[in-house]
Amino acid sequence: MTALGAALGAALGGIETAVGVGAGAIQAPPTDWGFIVENADYLLAGAVVTVLLTATSLLLGFLAGFPAGTVEVYGGGWLRRVVRTAGVLLRGTPILVILVFAFFAAPVPLPSGSVTVPFPGLPPVDVGLSAFTAAALGLGLRSAAYQSQIFRGALQSVDAGQMEAARAVGLSKLGAIRHVVLPQALRRSIPGFQNEFTIVLKDTSIAFAIGLAEILTRSYDLFVQQTTATLEVVLFISLVYFLLTVFTNRTLDYLDRRYAIPGGKG
Amino acid sequence: MTDRDAGTAEASARPGPGTDPDPLLRIEGLRKSYGDEEVLRGVDMALDRQDVEVIIGPSGSGKSTLLRCVNRLTEFRGGDVFLDGESVLAMDENDLRRRVGMVFQDINLFAHLTARENVTLGLRRVLGMDREAADDRAMAHLKRVGLAPQSESYPAELSGGQKQRVGIARALAMDPDLLLFDEPTSALDPELVGEVLGVMSDLADGGMTMLVVTHEMGFARRAATTLTFLDEGRIVERGPPDRLFEAPERDRTAEFLRRLTDLSEDRDR
Repeated sequence: MTALGAALGAALGGIETAVGVGAGAIQAPPTDWGFIVENADYLLAGAVVTVLLTATSLLLGFLAGFPAGTVEVYGGGWLRRVVRTAGVLLRGTPILVILVFAFFAAPVPLPSGSVTVPFPGLPPVDVGLSAFTAAALGLGLRSAAYQSQIFRGALQSVDAGQMEAARAVGLSKLGAIRHVVLPQALRRSIPGFQNEFTIVLKDTSIAFAIGLAEILTRSYDLFVQQTTATLEVVLFISLVYFLLTVFTNRTLDYLDRRYAIPGGKG
Repeated sequence: MTDRDAGTAEASARPGPGTDPDPLLRIEGLRKSYGDEEVLRGVDMALDRQDVEVIIGPSGSGKSTLLRCVNRLTEFRGGDVFLDGESVLAMDENDLRRRVGMVFQDINLFAHLTARENVTLGLRRVLGMDREAADDRAMAHLKRVGLAPQSESYPAELSGGQKQRVGIARALAMDPDLLLFDEPTSALDPELVGEVLGVMSDLADGGMTMLVVTHEMGFARRAATTLTFLDEGRIVERGPPDRLFEAPERDRTAEFLRRLTDLSEDRDR
């Protein structure tokens, strides 16, 4: 942002006002929609970071949230109290506050420096490691708190008779959970997980607050150069978010059907 | 390991109840409370090998609790239960349940598994059999309850009677010393009761030792070696079914049996 960007913005800005928005994209590239077309690579590279952050956060959320939900249902004593308290704290704090805390006041040192994220066909993105780590930790731990509730509800929805029948054939409690309760609970948690996936995907935009080069931060880079294109930039990244959401929801819909228990209600 | 369906000869050689000095199951002074409510108030009972003991009694009399104390699905506080001379309290609960199968009123088939997989789960994860051996044994037991053609069906695709027969196969395949039946037909539509009772009668004829809570008087009369009337946590009367039906010693027994018999005759009409 940069001399090149500023020059580009100035050059495009003059023409824009003269041409209608809808027609402009086709007839004359140097309009606000032309600006989007020219910078689509830049934005899509940001979308790659968005997807990476979503995947990392969801994975972290699963790795922490799944055991947490299990502990809430089957655990006892201090462990369950710790898990519950952590969940209440994380669910009771705004995500922006969590992120700012993780970035500026993290109790653990964040890695410094940056890595270049390559993606075929797109310009590489420099991602600040401290921002990415803080964002993944913040989003991941908050997601863990919500995912634990999804799993808790799913585990509790499995009829108690299933556990009893499993114990009655001689399975240990752990064996009964693993072979009988979990496979049913995981299927039932897909719809809740669908919500959570969508929420985390969209909430990665909050990493804007700590300067991570994800798609919203990059769109900000652009529309401060060409302020007349703000609407177009926002519409474009909304479309990207929408497509990502629809794609993942469809994938989970497919999994839901694929693993549905025949004849059952799931 | 052997199935016992070749046991008709054994069945006819079955000794009378209580004659074995070393019973398979001995229950002594069993007591159980839920909070302030005493559900079992000192129950004594012994089952020899190949006995079929039917327990009847009004709801809340402690029948189910009695059964669940035997395989320790419910922990009891007073008295003791011995399996083959060994206190169940001294046994590992999973070892105990390997030897004592249970069939539930709610059936409780594993909803995410096929009929065959319902049977093989315990074989593989408890007995440690490999897949092939477990499949073979599961199919043999499904065949025994007449469900080989439904082996790949899921519970939601089966009728209540079929489900309960899978439930029996699941318990039976573990080759237990003793089978517990907790009102196995109470949740079934009346027209499906017969097929389940038929399987149970076959098992009884084959020499399986069974402890059965049921209201099916026809089954009790036909298959039981001993009939026990339980009320308010105590045994009111216990003896050969014919004697209890024909000449009960206690008025309460007579009245309860009359009511149950009337009910099932109403249904049979």
